[in-house]
Amino acid sequence: MKHQTMKALTLLLALVLLAAACGSDSDESSSTAAETGSESSEPADDSGDDAGSEASADAVTIEYWLWDGNQQPVYQECADDFTAANPNIDINITQFGWADYWDGVTTGFASGSGPDVFTDHLARYPEFVASGVLTPLNDLVERDNVDTTQYFPGLAELWVDAEGNRYGLPKDFDTIALVTNSDMLTEAGMSVDDLSNLEWNPTDGGSFGEMIIQLTIDENGVRGNEDGFDPENVAVHGLGLEGAFGAFGQTTFSSLAASTGFEMLDVNPFGDSANYDDPNLAATIQWYADWIDAGYIVAIEDVESLGGTTIFQNGSAAMMMDGSWKIGTYIGPENPFPVEFAPVPVGPSGQRASMFNGLADSINAASEHQEEAWQWVKYLGSSDCQDVMGAAAVVFPAIPSAADAAIAAREAAGVDVSAFTTHVEDGTTFLFAITDSAGQIEAIVGPAMQEILRGQATAAERLAQIDQEVDALLGS
Amino acid sequence: MTVTTADQIEAESFSEVSGRLEKNRKLSVGRAMAWIVLAIMLIITLFPLWWALRTGLSNNGALFAGDQSLGPAEFTTLNFERVLGQATEAEIFEATGRPNSGSFDFLQSLKVSLIVATVITAGQVLFSAMAAYAFARLTFKGRDKLFFLFLSGLMIPPIFILIPNLILMRELDWFNSYQGLIAPFFFMTPFAVFFLRQFFLGISKEVEEAALLDGAGNFRTFFGIIVPMSAAPIATISILTFVTAWNEYLWPLTVGRDPDRQPLTVALGNFTAQQPGTSPDWSGLMSATLLAALPILLIFFLFGRKVVDSIGFSGIK
Amino acid sequence: MTNAILEIPEARAPDVPVRRKKELRGGWSAAIWFLLPAMLGFGLFILYPALRGVYLSFTDWNLIANEGEWVGTDNYERLFGSDWNNVKHSLWVTFKYTMINIVSQTFFAIMLAVMMDRLTKSVFVRGVLLVPWLIPNVIVALLWVWMLDANLGVVNEFIGWFGIEPVRFFTDTGKVIPTIAGINTWRHMGYTALLIFAGLQTIPKGLYEAGALDGATEGQMFRNITLPLLRPILALVLVITVVGSLQVFDTVQVATGGFGNRPGGPVNASRVIYLYIYENAILFNDLGYAAAISILLVAILLLVTFLQLRLLRAGESDLA
Repeated sequence: MKHQTMKALTLLLALVLLAAACGSDSDESSSTAAETGSESSEPADDSGDDAGSEASADAVTIEYWLWDGNQQPVYQECADDFTAANPNIDINITQFGWADYWDGVTTGFASGSGPDVFTDHLARYPEFVASGVLTPLNDLVERDNVDTTQYFPGLAELWVDAEGNRYGLPKDFDTIALVTNSDMLTEAGMSVDDLSNLEWNPTDGGSFGEMIIQLTIDENGVRGNEDGFDPENVAVHGLGLEGAFGAFGQTTFSSLAASTGFEMLDVNPFGDSANYDDPNLAATIQWYADWIDAGYIVAIEDVESLGGTTIFQNGSAAMMMDGSWKIGTYIGPENPFPVEFAPVPVGPSGQRASMFNGLADSINAASEHQEEAWQWVKYLGSSDCQDVMGAAAVVFPAIPSAADAAIAAREAAGVDVSAFTTHVEDGTTFLFAITDSAGQIEAIVGPAMQEILRGQATAAERLAQIDQEVDALLGS
Repeated sequence: MTVTTADQIEAESFSEVSGRLEKNRKLSVGRAMAWIVLAIMLIITLFPLWWALRTGLSNNGALFAGDQSLGPAEFTTLNFERVLGQATEAEIFEATGRPNSGSFDFLQSLKVSLIVATVITAGQVLFSAMAAYAFARLTFKGRDKLFFLFLSGLMIPPIFILIPNLILMRELDWFNSYQGLIAPFFFMTPFAVFFLRQFFLGISKEVEEAALLDGAGNFRTFFGIIVPMSAAPIATISILTFVTAWNEYLWPLTVGRDPDRQPLTVALGNFTAQQPGTSPDWSGLMSATLLAALPILLIFFLFGRKVVDSIGFSGIK
Repeated sequence: MTNAILEIPEARAPDVPVRRKKELRGGWSAAIWFLLPAMLGFGLFILYPALRGVYLSFTDWNLIANEGEWVGTDNYERLFGSDWNNVKHSLWVTFKYTMINIVSQTFFAIMLAVMMDRLTKSVFVRGVLLVPWLIPNVIVALLWVWMLDANLGVVNEFIGWFGIEPVRFFTDTGKVIPTIAGINTWRHMGYTALLIFAGLQTIPKGLYEAGALDGATEGQMFRNITLPLLRPILALVLVITVVGSLQVFDTVQVATGGFGNRPGGPVNASRVIYLYIYENAILFNDLGYAAAISILLVAILLLVTFLQLRLLRAGESDLA
């Protein structure tokens, strides 16, 4: 019986093998046709970094990578428009989750199988530049008369390195605002107006702090500002945290820290000394740690695993700071309650502050279709594509006219996003800190922040320690 | 020629003997306790799968609001439809607010997993068996040293050889291809060679000698006699190899970037955060997870007894 | 130990003089055909990359730019010098994980195996216990992250019924490693149990009968008969489990970093050595240093395996 089973199994295996061989052959040819790009049917030649501008007359496919699944349909639309205007260039868009994206890009570069064009990030691009794998765009920008002043002020300069080489054209921007659970606001007897002129300071929290305390409710229904409040058993925290702090705290501490006048680098971009030992930063982080301890802010342990949005949507936090790319999440059907967007509080410096980040697309220097890649990047940075993005209102485009369209689209849907755009208008933005060692800085600062917020170290002490480590890293 | 199988061992097994001896011992407290513990272990084993099913049939909004009921929270089959590509974009957007969540080609990934795992199993078992036979039965200079060298491969952490292998793939232009996914595992693994060698060592020499007397060459002996006699361990290692290949993650992640060439394990990565900070699409993720585990559970269900016996019978010294 | 399964019922003409067989058996000319594919695979995909890896450890290889220069023993000096704290920490985390995983997995596996042997021979039970092993590591990790979440997880809901506070399985520095060990135990205990179960079948039942007749209790028989005679199987299981545990990666990466976080947290409490290697290679773009750490890991694996096999006297069996 065993013998027969063996025979049967072997036969089965052989059949599958046969099917696989036939199947994969046809798949192979069809997929090879579809995905040329840096992996074309020409012999794999890694010295394909031709900075030349040879536009091939045959059909070319550009491999384009991005991580935000929400934006993919919009980019597909742009791609379709682009191909209509440039029939010999086809764009193949692939989306990878954030957790995998950069690993994929890195190994893509390492193994010569990377994309032709990919969505780049300010924290990462310096490293790529240092390794020489990105194509500088200066000559191309000049040749094609691309107007780099058509974007919001400050965005275009972010993508130019210390030597003056440009590596991307801005395509969108994002800022930070305060998101509030409307139902909880009403139950506390407050209204949207109470959110509009909040102030904060690290000593007592200011009016922002008062609001947080008032919105905090313990398990017995006692509010934070009432007698008998039990900080050990809090049901709803006044303020939530979007996630672990990390080294830059874009959606967590960056706004409040910057509103004290704190600046992360001595010179941004590419400074060689960090200011993690600034007492203002220490005061800010310590404020977070102390208020977590007091029960007003959600414990950091609760947001490090699945993220703070889960906590917020779950009703465990009344307010939270978050980025404009999450607007869709909060007004979407999965959010169980209505929300209000308000600008972040004014700080001791007398002003608000929001980190100003913007994405751009970079070209892989090893791509065998430099000219076609450039055409795509140029298109993405132009109002042709950005108007489409604006109308879809998933993110804010980098070109003001397109951004207006986005704002208008949101407003037409009944969503007031002025809390995000006010920073651009008032000039209260500050730039993402750009260094070429973002990964290592993250590895040094991230755990330190986790320790401080758990009460295992004081901010002043710990931050002074890591400042030395980071300086050593940057200076070297 | 009879080959005593695990079934037959079972037939004259201890339990029959002990059953006779202990027939008079009623359900003692000890046995009852043991049964309870076993039942608890079975529940612990199966509950997560139920929970995955339940989550897959739930609505994300209800989940985020904290619904912890034993059954689905706001029952919906939309998530499974999404994963299988049966839902329209409008439906998806209306339910989740995410324009393209759940849009990975399940059937394509399933096909990739199936092809890759099967081909790897076929190749690995065949070639490892051949090598194992050489180590067990043939004599040649440096045999034991070579075997030891193979064995040392067990000690090498995969990450160590990941990057050089990637570079090799680039040089062969095998990225995003079936060959790339299959190649490193196709010929052998140290474990398979080791495992089969142990068995071949245990085979009595008389049969082979008889075959050789009849004029059979090494290959005839191997394929005609040894292999059929070793059906059980070969089945075991085949199953082990298949499941391991099916569950492979790191290598396909780096080599199969193209969605057309992603096995199920990697394709699921599309569900974890699309962008930093968004809450994961739990119901979609769990549906996808279950569907990804389904094929192998099905195979298991069909060949259940065989698989269990094979694993049970590994008979390693 | 006999492989009683393979018995030959009839011997063929045993008194025919042996003639030609020796020539067919010996030498490379015969063996090469059997060995060629395996040697090809081994050479191309294991040996060559390993040697290349050793080479890389003496360079400052930049992964992205795909180039680097020879730097001699710089990486090793850094490993044992300026970066030793990090390396030591990762080794310690890995060691802790391995200990917890081994103890819990072996304990449950033996318990299950004995139960399957003595309580019930049901194939259904054995089948059910195998199911977790069929599911990929990645999926298992995601499933458990969801179930063990401090806020939305069903497990905390469950223990809340007993009045216990929610447990922060993944974000409490002291709990994350035991939690991950627990997840891996859940996945592997059924499979390991079956291996041990098979080993139990090889113990001659007569010994138990004799023991029972002498009036020994179950516990005594277990200690004095089962455990000693299981030694070869246990040795094999332990070696494989230890080697596997020291190399844990998938589960940790997905469970602590699957949602956009930096894996290995919190405060590096779960940064196992494998993860640290990966971080250095991919995140810090320092492939040379990552290779050096890998070599250290290989050395440790070899040492540990050697010691285990020696200590457990795995080559012998008390039956013989």
